[in-house]
Parts: sequence; C-alpha cells; structure tokens
Amino acid sequence: MTAIKNPSHGTNRGFPPQVPAASRRSRARRLARRNPLAFIVAVFIAVLMILPFVTLIISALTPASQMGADRWLPTSLRWANFADATRYIAFWAMAKSSVILSSLFAVLATFSSALTGYGFARMRGPGKNVLFAVLIGTMMVPPIVTLIPTYLLFSDYHLVGTYWPWVLWGAAGTPYAIFLYRQFFSSFPKELEEAAVIDGAGPLRIFIQVFLPLSKPLLVTAFVLGFNAVWGDFIAPDLFLNQSNTTLAVGVASGYENSQGYPLYNLLAGGALLYVVPVILLFLFAQRSYVRGFATAGLK
Amino acid sequence: MTAAARFSSGAAVNGRRTGRRRRLRSGLAFYGFISPWLIGTAALTLFPVGYAVYLSFTNWNGTTPFKPWAGLANYREVLTSADTLSTLSKTLVLAAVVVPVTIVGSLLLAMLLNRRMRGRAMLRTLIYIPAVVPPVASSLIWKVIFDRNSGAANRVLALFGVNPVSWLSGRTVFIVMIVVLLWALGSGIVIDLAALQTVPAEQLEAARVDGAGPFGRFRHVILPAISPILLFQTVLTVITTLQTFIPAILLSPIAAGGMGVMTNIPQANEVYMVDVYEQFFDYSRYGYGSAMLVVFFFVIVAMTALIFRFLGRSVFYAVDPAKAHQR
Repeated sequence: MTAIKNPSHGTNRGFPPQVPAASRRSRARRLARRNPLAFIVAVFIAVLMILPFVTLIISALTPASQMGADRWLPTSLRWANFADATRYIAFWAMAKSSVILSSLFAVLATFSSALTGYGFARMRGPGKNVLFAVLIGTMMVPPIVTLIPTYLLFSDYHLVGTYWPWVLWGAAGTPYAIFLYRQFFSSFPKELEEAAVIDGAGPLRIFIQVFLPLSKPLLVTAFVLGFNAVWGDFIAPDLFLNQSNTTLAVGVASGYENSQGYPLYNLLAGGALLYVVPVILLFLFAQRSYVRGFATAGLK
Repeated sequence: MTAAARFSSGAAVNGRRTGRRRRLRSGLAFYGFISPWLIGTAALTLFPVGYAVYLSFTNWNGTTPFKPWAGLANYREVLTSADTLSTLSKTLVLAAVVVPVTIVGSLLLAMLLNRRMRGRAMLRTLIYIPAVVPPVASSLIWKVIFDRNSGAANRVLALFGVNPVSWLSGRTVFIVMIVVLLWALGSGIVIDLAALQTVPAEQLEAARVDGAGPFGRFRHVILPAISPILLFQTVLTVITTLQTFIPAILLSPIAAGGMGVMTNIPQANEVYMVDVYEQFFDYSRYGYGSAMLVVFFFVIVAMTALIFRFLGRSVFYAVDPAKAHQR
C-alpha cells in the first residue's frame, strides 16, 4: 500500500481489491509474461535509481580506516559511525530546528494557501483577474531573486537569526500551492455553498465546514511540499540563521570535515542518510494523498 | 444571490442599494480571504524585488549609510564582463543538457510505468524516490560516490581497467553536477502519468484500427493530448535548472564551508548563482549582485518567451481540429 497508485481511479478497473491472492498472483504472472521487456527495463531503471542509496549505506557503515581501501564491502560494519555522525556536528539540535521550521512553515502555508486559493476560486471582487496574474507572475520569480534583498532588509529589522522569516513566508502562502487549491476549489458546483448560504453560514464558515473537509488530499500535498521545501532548503537557513540555531541541511552540508577541510566521507554518508530518511518516510506515508492531490488539481 | 437580487429589483432604489452593499460585502470577503497572500507577496516578493532593482543602480557595499548612485554602470558591466558571461554561458549549457533529458526521460519513464506490469506500483515508487531527496542530500550522496579514493564510481571503472579519475576537481565535476540533477528526473513522472490518463482511449483505439503503430499513436494522439503539460513542465524545469546552486557549491574535493567562504568551488561549477553569491557575500558588491539578479530575471523571462514561441506553436497546432482533419 505504500506505493504509487495509479493517479486516476478509473484505470484500476480490472484490479478489484477483493480478488483472492492466488488469482491475483497468477494475473501478475500473466501480465509479466505479456510485457517482459517493459518489466525488465523498469526493474533495471529502478535498481539504477536505488543503487546510490545502497552505496551510501555501505559508505556510512565503513570504518574510517577502510575508506578508500580497494574493496567493495568493508571487512566489518561499524554501526557506531551513525552515533559519531550525530556527535561530530550538533545533529539533534539542528534536527530540532529543521523539524520546527519545516512544520511551522508547512502548517501556515497549507492553510494560508488554501484561504487564498479559495478566494480566487469562489469569490468575486474588483481587481481579481489582475491579482491572479500577479500570482502567476510571482511563480516565475526565482526564490533567490527575492531571498538576498529580503536578507538585506530583514537584517535592518533584526529578523535575521530568528525564526520569524519562516513564519512570515508561511503566512504568505506559496504561489504553487495557491494555484493548486484554486484549480481544485473551482471544480465544485455552485450549489455546494448556496445551500450553506441559505442556512445562514458566513463565507469563512462555509470555507471551514464545507470546503476544507473535502480537500484533504490537497492539504496533504501542500503540507508535504511545504515541509520538504524547508527541510531541503540550504540557502535561506544559511543566510538567515547562525551556528546556534541553523538547520540540518546547513549542518550536514558543511559540518563533516577534518581540520584541513577534507570531508570525512563515512560520517558524511551517515549524516546524509539520517538527514534524508525523514523526507522519504514522509513521502511514503503521504504518497497516496500526495499523488491524488496532484492528479485532481494539477491538470485542469 | 447577488446577481439575483440585482436583476429582480433593479429599478427599486432600495433594492439597488442592498445589491451594491452585497457586492461590496462579497468584495470585502474576497480581499479578506486573499489578504495573507496579498500582504505577504507585497512585503516579501514585490518589495524585495523593487529593492534589488533600486540597489542595482547603486554601488552600495553594504556598510556606508548612503548608497552611491551608479546609473547603468552595473548593467553595462554584467553584460560585458567576461567572468559573468562565462558563468552565464556555463549555466545555459547546464540547462541545455539537463532540461531535454529530464523532459524526454520522465515522459519515457511515465509511458513505461503506465503499462501494465507486475509490481508496477512498487517500481513507480522506487523510480520516484530520488526526486524527493533534497538537493543537499543528493549532492552529498554523489559526492561520496564520485570521491577519487573511496567512491564507488572509480571502483566500477576499475572493473574495466580504467585508472582512477579525480571527478570532483577539474572539468569532470560539471558531469557530476549533471548526474545530480538528472537523478531527480522522476519528479516529472507523477505529472506525466496523470497527463497520460487524460489521453482519450477512443482516439487511441481509432488510431490502432486505422493501422497506426506505437510510434504513430505517440506522435499523433498521445503527444498532442499531453503537450500543454509538457510545455508547462519545460518552463518550470528551465527555471529551476538555471537557478542551480547547491550542487555547484557542495561538489568539491574540499568542503565548501559556511556562507561567504566559498573559496574552494571548482572552476567548472562557477554557475551564475554562485557568481551572484560571491558578488554579494565575498566582495560586498551589493549593487552589482543586484544587477545580476535583475538580468537573471530577464533571462528567465526571455527563455520562457522563447519556449512558448517555439514549443507553444506546436502545442496549438496539434490541437487545432481543422489541421487534424487534413491528415
């Protein structure tokens, strides 16, 4: 169940879940026989994509003395490398920063983007089309173009070195998520809110009680996108935070080196692995909603 | 509701007034809903961009209280400096390699994974996973693999009798950067797969009956149906590739170190964004760096316009029913 399902629900028609295991297996075998070449090519590519992780795990478990030795596998596995990797840099403190900033940003951006997307989809107001053009325009502005000037401005207001920039960025929403929400909310019939209006509900209550519960897959998509964006971001924490409160991305990127500045590859591999595992787990966990969120909103 | 009130009692003064009030109220609600974004974009996107444009006309170094006016001097330098033009051309070469391979590759993968086969869901997940790996991690993973002494890449080459290559120094590091970017090729698969579901099945069937082979069906049915998505994807991939920064600074034999001390970046990886960073934080040339950002923005706008001009035409051509009938 933790695998990408077909984004469209219609195509799994011939694959009802209640098929007994035995016949499902024979069906799979039939499919494999019908399409052996495609299957082999897909397996080959999947192995190719996963292989870097395998070599990373091997490097992470290799004792320092055997790094660079002319062998594929070390003679012994050194699990203590992971513990060393978390001690060589202030790993857990930075992991905490990463978790706090990523969740803070993702929660704020998820709901703020939903509000704005809803406004664009189902409300009317003067200047709406112009503002929507501005929204699409800001999607084209590379983040780095605004990041450096923002840094210069924020340092005047003593916001550098705090978490406030992420709160502000989150509260502002992200153009891409807003766009997805707008597409999604546009697809519902008008009757949906008319019934609620007759019941005397105000716009905010209609949004929260009628539309938000319907948009769970997209909420998950927006949360995952927001969380990964901050977890993976290097430039913003590098600019806006300092040694004492920076994120794991910065720590892992620059921490594992000896006094001459040469990388300690086995610790680096261990640290990188620990850094990437939460993102992959989050993706696997949210995958079905995530893919559905894209499929329902991204294509209209 | 608003419209109904407006039309049914249009003549009555009272009705007109409540209609106007309702419209005002719904307009207020609209602005209420979008206000977080509206204020945020004004303060965190439009204002900083404006500030960068202003700084680009100055020679500010970040310390003086006033900002000496420079006119167009920074822009003249950006467009004539051999260093900057070389970082720009490196970035364009990178995009010229990465973008087509990414677009074509993820489409081919999506078509492959769209076929019925055993373990399809699992294979999709495995092929997609590298796309969720953050750039810091993917850069470091490939850095470990391409290390001269301990990396797996040289050990594979040794099987074929090739001597160890110092991948991370010299020109070869550019290849490693391309590998890092292409590893995330799967990011387009989810969108491509969703797009492939929109291809009308009856058209595919009709093409098959008319004797179209797999290539003909791809060329005349599948490609036209998904071309708007491909266009959108191409534009986004161009924009993200031109911004490449993290792999460029992390792929070096010696650790790049923290901010402002990016002295060990291999020459081959001096892409445009690295140059911008250095102008700001190594040389404190805020005006020049800002001018580079503004020029970068225009490069992106120009690239997008070019893509729409050359690919956009084939998108509309393909869906033009009049032309489709002539075949």
